[in-house]
Amino acid sequence: MFDGTRDQTALVRMEGLHKSYGAVKVLQGLDIEMKRGDRVVVIGPSGGGKSTLLRVLMGLEKVDAGNISFGGRPYITVRNGKTVIDTEVRRSIGMVFQHYTLFPHLSVLQNLVLAPCKVNGEGTASAKARAQALLDRFGLGARAGAYPAQLSGGQKQRVAIARALMLDPKLMLFDEVTSALDPELVAEVEQVMLELAAQAMPMVIVTHDMWFARNIASRVIFCAGGVVVEDGPPEQVLGKPIHERTREFINRVFHIRA
Amino acid sequence: MHLDFSILPRFADALAYGLWLTVRLTLICIVTGGALGFLLALARRSGSRLLRAVSTVYVEFFRGTPVLIQLFWIFFCLPILLGVELSSFVSGVIALTLYTGAITSETFRSSLGTVGREQMDACVALGLPARVRITSVILPQALLRATPTLLSNAISLFKESSLVSAVGMADLMFVGQNISNNTARPVEVLTAVALIYFAVAFPLTRAVAVLEGRILRKLAV
Repeated sequence: MFDGTRDQTALVRMEGLHKSYGAVKVLQGLDIEMKRGDRVVVIGPSGGGKSTLLRVLMGLEKVDAGNISFGGRPYITVRNGKTVIDTEVRRSIGMVFQHYTLFPHLSVLQNLVLAPCKVNGEGTASAKARAQALLDRFGLGARAGAYPAQLSGGQKQRVAIARALMLDPKLMLFDEVTSALDPELVAEVEQVMLELAAQAMPMVIVTHDMWFARNIASRVIFCAGGVVVEDGPPEQVLGKPIHERTREFINRVFHIRA
Repeated sequence: MHLDFSILPRFADALAYGLWLTVRLTLICIVTGGALGFLLALARRSGSRLLRAVSTVYVEFFRGTPVLIQLFWIFFCLPILLGVELSSFVSGVIALTLYTGAITSETFRSSLGTVGREQMDACVALGLPARVRITSVILPQALLRATPTLLSNAISLFKESSLVSAVGMADLMFVGQNISNNTARPVEVLTAVALIYFAVAFPLTRAVAVLEGRILRKLAV
């Protein structure tokens, strides 16, 4: 099902997403189109729908209305009030969470090879070789045999990123991945993400770190009240926002920082 | 009062036979009862209302009645209702399995509850199918967390299995009672029996404490 009339360079197209938890409306008609080269940073006040947006995109949450296509192919749709998710498409998306979510009973290496071996049927030897190479690249080569409880927060988060990369995702989602880290551990995680950015990995990042947002984003989206308020290059949204609500938010954030 | 412990060695074989039956009964019922308990725990957390209701009634019933009456019922009522003779060992296994299942299901239920929703999110994000989620992520963590309590359950079962002596199974308790009656030396014999139970159970309770510390350290995320 490829719709040739649409922009073929669109990687993700979200249309009219609505989502509520009980009476609380979190997404209220969200439209975002993402191109293949985009690194989108989503900013906005808490409760504005940022994390929900990522969770919906990962197929972790049901939606009330709207649809998402991925690479021109229908990914998430709503039929008769039920959310239908194409799990094959979902497998090409990777996600890293705020609280690491490593499997505590498995070593670092086992965390990395579980999905490739069990889902893709990759051989253990080949998966382990790839995992070790990835860990070496992230400066974690010596920690392959360690258990998550033996790692620092920054190490855990780098392992979590490596684990997601093992499945060769076409899109990576980062949900406040440095928010739970001690300040001195933030840089090592952001460094890994910048490295991925340099390799043109498409990403959607939710973060409160405006400095990092400016450095990594090709595009910044300001989300509030469950809709996209402003969407543009980082210089615009973070520097000279057009919309009053964005300006208020940016001023408040930078005011706190100063 | 004159105590004579030198009579005991004569009965070493009989006591060993009784202990062996106790140990066999305990080991078998830990495995069968544990398996039943795990299935019951899944049923109690399942989406099906019927499964939840049936399993809850079952667990509450077996937790809410004395093990002794359960044993008597299985030994004397079940054969009448089924119209088949059951050997006493089979009856003992059935009764203690049903009871252990109810007890361990509570253990599994709480340990399954400690595997957080975030772990499920990670499974979904990694595309793990339901079977792999259960066998590689949920079950190992639940088992690890449940292990100390399961071992405590096993130790309780080892001790509570002495109730089968009441229906005439020749376990350690039964053999001890017999020897004590025949020799008219209850103090020596029953003390020895108590010490044998203790000698098996105590190292296990120590092992539980050590294991608990290790597991908690490993699983602290």
